[in-house]
Amino acid sequence: MQVGGIVLLMLLGYLLVDGDYSWPVSLTWQELPAKLDDAQTWLLEQRTAPDPNFFFAILDGFRALADWLVTALTDMLLWLTWVGTIAAGTLLVLRFGGWRAALITFLAFVSFAVMGLWEESMQTLALMSAAVLLSLAIGIPFGVLAGRSQRFHRTITPVLDAMQIVPAFAYLMPVVILFSVGPAAAVICTMIYAVPPAVRITALGIRGVTADSVEAARAFGSTAAQTLFKVQLPLARRQLLLSVNQTIMFALSLVVIAGLIGGRGLGDVVTNGLYSNAALAILAGIAIVIMAIALDRATSAIAERTDPTRRHLTDRGKRHARVLTLATFAGILATVFAARALGADSVYPDEFETSTTVYTATIHDDLLRWIQDALDYVQDPTSFIFGITEPLGNFILENLLEPLRKLLVDSPWFVVLGGLTAIAFVLSGLRPAITTLLMLTAIGVMGVWPEAMDTASQVLVATAIAVLFGIVIGVWAAESPRVERLLRPLLDTLQTLPQLVYIIPFIYLMPVSRIPGIVASVLYAIPVVIRLVTNGVRGVPPAAVEAAYAFGASRMQVLAKVKVPLARESIMLGVNQGIILVLAVVVIGGLVGSGALGDMIARGLQRNEFGEGVVASLAILALGIALDRVTRGRRDPSRA
Amino acid sequence: MSDSSGSAAVESPEATPPAGGNGEPLVRAENVWKIFGQKADRVIGTPDAELSRSELHDKTGCVIAVRDVSLEIMPGEVFVVMGLSGSGKSTLVRTLIRLIEPSAGKITITGHDVMEADASELRELRRHSVSMVFQHFGLLAHRRVIDNVAFGLEIQGVGKAERLARASEVLGLVGLEDVANSFPDQLSGGMQQRVGLARAFAVDPQLMLYDEPFSALDPLIRRDMQDEVVRLQEETGKTMLFITHDLPEALRLGDRIAIMRDGAIVQLGSPEELVGSPANDYVRNFVRDIPRTHVLTLRWIMRDPRPGEESGGPELDVKTTVKDAVPVAAATDGPIRAVENGRCVGIVDRVSILQAMAGGPEDSGGGS
Amino acid sequence: MALLVALFAAACGEDKDDQSSGSSENAAAGGKDCGKVVLNEQAWAGSTANTYIAKAVLEDNLGCEVEITKIAEIPVFQAMADGKVDAVLEDWQHVDEYKKYIDGAGTVVQGGPLGVEGHIGWFIPKYLMDENPEFKSWEGLKGKEDLFKTPESGDQGMFLGGDPSYVQKDKELIEALGLNFKHVTAGAEPAQVARWSQLYKQKKPVIFYWYTPQYLNQEYDLAEVQLPPRTDANQDCKDDSKSGGDPEQYKCEYDVTVINKLFSKKFADSKSPAYDMLSKFELTNEDQEQVAKAIAGDKVDPEKAGQDWVEENQDKVDAWLN
Repeated sequence: MQVGGIVLLMLLGYLLVDGDYSWPVSLTWQELPAKLDDAQTWLLEQRTAPDPNFFFAILDGFRALADWLVTALTDMLLWLTWVGTIAAGTLLVLRFGGWRAALITFLAFVSFAVMGLWEESMQTLALMSAAVLLSLAIGIPFGVLAGRSQRFHRTITPVLDAMQIVPAFAYLMPVVILFSVGPAAAVICTMIYAVPPAVRITALGIRGVTADSVEAARAFGSTAAQTLFKVQLPLARRQLLLSVNQTIMFALSLVVIAGLIGGRGLGDVVTNGLYSNAALAILAGIAIVIMAIALDRATSAIAERTDPTRRHLTDRGKRHARVLTLATFAGILATVFAARALGADSVYPDEFETSTTVYTATIHDDLLRWIQDALDYVQDPTSFIFGITEPLGNFILENLLEPLRKLLVDSPWFVVLGGLTAIAFVLSGLRPAITTLLMLTAIGVMGVWPEAMDTASQVLVATAIAVLFGIVIGVWAAESPRVERLLRPLLDTLQTLPQLVYIIPFIYLMPVSRIPGIVASVLYAIPVVIRLVTNGVRGVPPAAVEAAYAFGASRMQVLAKVKVPLARESIMLGVNQGIILVLAVVVIGGLVGSGALGDMIARGLQRNEFGEGVVASLAILALGIALDRVTRGRRDPSRA
Repeated sequence: MSDSSGSAAVESPEATPPAGGNGEPLVRAENVWKIFGQKADRVIGTPDAELSRSELHDKTGCVIAVRDVSLEIMPGEVFVVMGLSGSGKSTLVRTLIRLIEPSAGKITITGHDVMEADASELRELRRHSVSMVFQHFGLLAHRRVIDNVAFGLEIQGVGKAERLARASEVLGLVGLEDVANSFPDQLSGGMQQRVGLARAFAVDPQLMLYDEPFSALDPLIRRDMQDEVVRLQEETGKTMLFITHDLPEALRLGDRIAIMRDGAIVQLGSPEELVGSPANDYVRNFVRDIPRTHVLTLRWIMRDPRPGEESGGPELDVKTTVKDAVPVAAATDGPIRAVENGRCVGIVDRVSILQAMAGGPEDSGGGS
Repeated sequence: MALLVALFAAACGEDKDDQSSGSSENAAAGGKDCGKVVLNEQAWAGSTANTYIAKAVLEDNLGCEVEITKIAEIPVFQAMADGKVDAVLEDWQHVDEYKKYIDGAGTVVQGGPLGVEGHIGWFIPKYLMDENPEFKSWEGLKGKEDLFKTPESGDQGMFLGGDPSYVQKDKELIEALGLNFKHVTAGAEPAQVARWSQLYKQKKPVIFYWYTPQYLNQEYDLAEVQLPPRTDANQDCKDDSKSGGDPEQYKCEYDVTVINKLFSKKFADSKSPAYDMLSKFELTNEDQEQVAKAIAGDKVDPEKAGQDWVEENQDKVDAWLN
């Protein structure tokens, strides 16, 4: 109610205050971008100075390690030959994750082969494996620390937030200066995005170990190390493997960007395909999704099956398991040596030759043709779908986006500043309100107030759509396991398919500049909103639901009066996370015409307007923090 | 209520610990405080310390969990701390081995000053002298039963063969030999807590701490487990500190019982003293439903023998409960002699038995 | 994780002499030994075309081993500075980077013009030009901006801006020319193409930032609007709005962009035969568009498209080799 009042006041402010009240120049730090440019130049000079100092020596060491790791993994995949790689992947997952996951793994490898993208897929697999290994090597220790110390957790959380919100485009160039191009730089960029989930989920896992077990260990005189290694880590193991799983997912969403600085693999195919062969870009995007889904299913199956709290391994079981493991490795090695002896290629070939004929080994061309046909349909402005999507896009633009943009951009800046701060105070309390005020002021001082408000209008519309649909679908999925089962692969796809890939059809279908960007952010954010809502509704105590039914409530009444209100916490978290994820895609919007901050960042890399790009990234970060505080609500600030 | 800030325990003269050992207490706690919240140390010793819990919380934001508690536990004794949830009893037991750091006070266990102990001395104390049984068992789900039992020894650094041998020995003691290779989640609650017991026994501690060990169990199983504790105590003679919110359990097990409320001990004494002479309305209310005749012994109702009464007539041990004395009294007209170590220490007659029965609540004659 | 570690252990004992070594060290050591050459291909089709033509010549005529990287335009300067990339064959005048890497650190050297000339301008579909011949000059647009109205541009006509990463000055130009256009950003080039090609297919009016050489020019029939020509009088007229300032100083057509080849200093110093060949390497706009069309339009494999062109243009190739 109070929020409505504030919005009304803001509207009045917009309507009644005459004249131009854009952010005053006197309150702007205009030299900031130039200073940042100077900093980059300075960094470059330092880096190329003849005798590298100690700090750079460490970076060089890390670069060498990352380069070595990627090269070694690539070499290993080549040495295995394509037959051996399929065998190794499938058998290992079979041994540790069960036949279902093994089947998915097998099918994934087969699809890389028949898509004709084997080599690129293996390059991406090696790069991602290295990035994930190194992310975990850093993320898990930090996660353990954060899990054991509330103070450390509080300190590190904003850093993790920043790592996830600041778009990769912004730090691509500094990373290149420090680590040059190639696998190492690609690994670093990926790590910046993939370490945070590793830290967060590890911390959550360590915290999730029942206090009883930890207290018992202490009561028996365990040292901190004994408690960690004998109690906390084994009991958190499943959660730790889940963090592996999420780290993989986040890492894979950076494949395309990694390609820009020498990451090679599927990312390159996507980027180049976009300019000259959209169908190829989409095919490579599909390969990325398949890799993500297979890795997800494999790691979660392994996490479940090797959980020591459920596995109940007795001595005999252990011996048995060891024998199976040995047999698995023997099987892999036998396959590899047999394959090499029979002359299998290191990568899957395009053609198979027999003495008489040559067979095409892939259906690459057919797939491309099919995708192209679909694209042609989408591009056809007389198609049935276009008749629906174009007016829809125009409707969103004219009735949601433009009014909101006008309100935020054209209102006097103090009206917007005061209004948002007041909403933060009403919804979340004093401290969040102060943070909001500071962040919005920072945006103004950095001189990007109109751009930030323009972006904010897009973010809010996208979040509203994502939350609306997310809640409806999330509740539905919570009510029907079948819906949830059907949704899962779809949600996985949305989370890992490079946005640039699925955005292409929407550029054709909704040819209005800011709309495809909004669609991309809605599609990126909605899986998380759906999952949070589903979990929240599922988590409603059965007793409350039972009581409602006992009083004769109908199913809809139970939903509306019991489940949804009790799941409010999760739903608010969904709104909040939705905003953060939408912000993460702003830069993609810049590439498809959203303008504003996204545009500045995209330009920042491509035209080396480094300072501008950084300023815009910081503005996104500030906007993210401000909107996070506005919507945080009065819940426990120590979220995971 | 009159006893809202009973900071001084009401201690009957008879409440001196049974002189079983050499007279030196195994555990001595003096003026132990635990206050949660910032600036807790600024409360103790100021007038604020006299405030009630809610007043203090409103004024300073601090919560008093343990308020000026002193107690001594003698070797071989079963000492029970009883109180409702939130009375501070679980916090108290944790402060003794500094699982929760006390805000103030002095604690000595087996002659060692716990408060002064550094981290490694504290670990040594926890490893060898004290062990604990937990309300929610605190078993490690990823280890077999036998590995759980051996956990304390493993922490001490005992070799694998030796600790497994000791663990199976202890498992035999609690009757769980057959499930040594099972995992905790495959066992019933009662069996899990037996594993917890075995784990605590395996390190052969001098002092065992029980934190409401049976409150998560079904009543019938709880009784079995209580019997188990009594048996183990008799067999091993361990000193035990037992926390419970269940008065019958406290009366059953305890040599002495401390009743806690709002962090302070309101009465400390033998079961008879609590039932026979509650220190205040709070305790009285507590023991109201307890059949007095089941708790009070002849020692409690006897009078000094008059000359000539020391011989003749039926004699009963002075520890006999009133309930058990009733049939004897019914069968004889004369006084009954209460005997301790073969010597007559007092006289009980029908009148005193009837008075004891009438003084209690509407006792229908022992339903349990 | 277990999977990776295990596999890794299995491979460790092995030599790693198979296939690509993964290292991008440039082993060219002078003399006749060409060794390995690393070329960087940009995302657009034209760059793919000239890179694969060069690759075909280097491999078939000089016996070099060619590796192709796909690093973005700006980071590739650092890549050349670090010796990880030997040559970029199509650079659209990144003046700031020239200052830093060529004039400053000297880690990158100019390789001379590619021969292809870039031309930027305002384009409309041919059918529109046929209906409105006055659009041949920008003055003909005046008063007819309404024709280009879309929901996005409101009361004004819509001008579809170029990829934000390209050199441009259209906002300033529109203001300086006093045209009633709203400059709408469509985003990166593929998105911009999607926008105007959609309108093209509907035979609707559209005006947009575009350039040559571009293989799509062979697929779509486009016509150019003449902007105020460059004369002696407006010699200082600027093209890149990055430099800021008054719109008036942008009031002229875009200058021709000379497209440069760039080499890493290390490669230039190597005296490799590859360096000699690439120094002489030269294409015309038509050469490049033809191969780009084959690759992007007809989906010919880039390797093959490059080789095909080499076969048909042996005379040009010979000139590079001598």
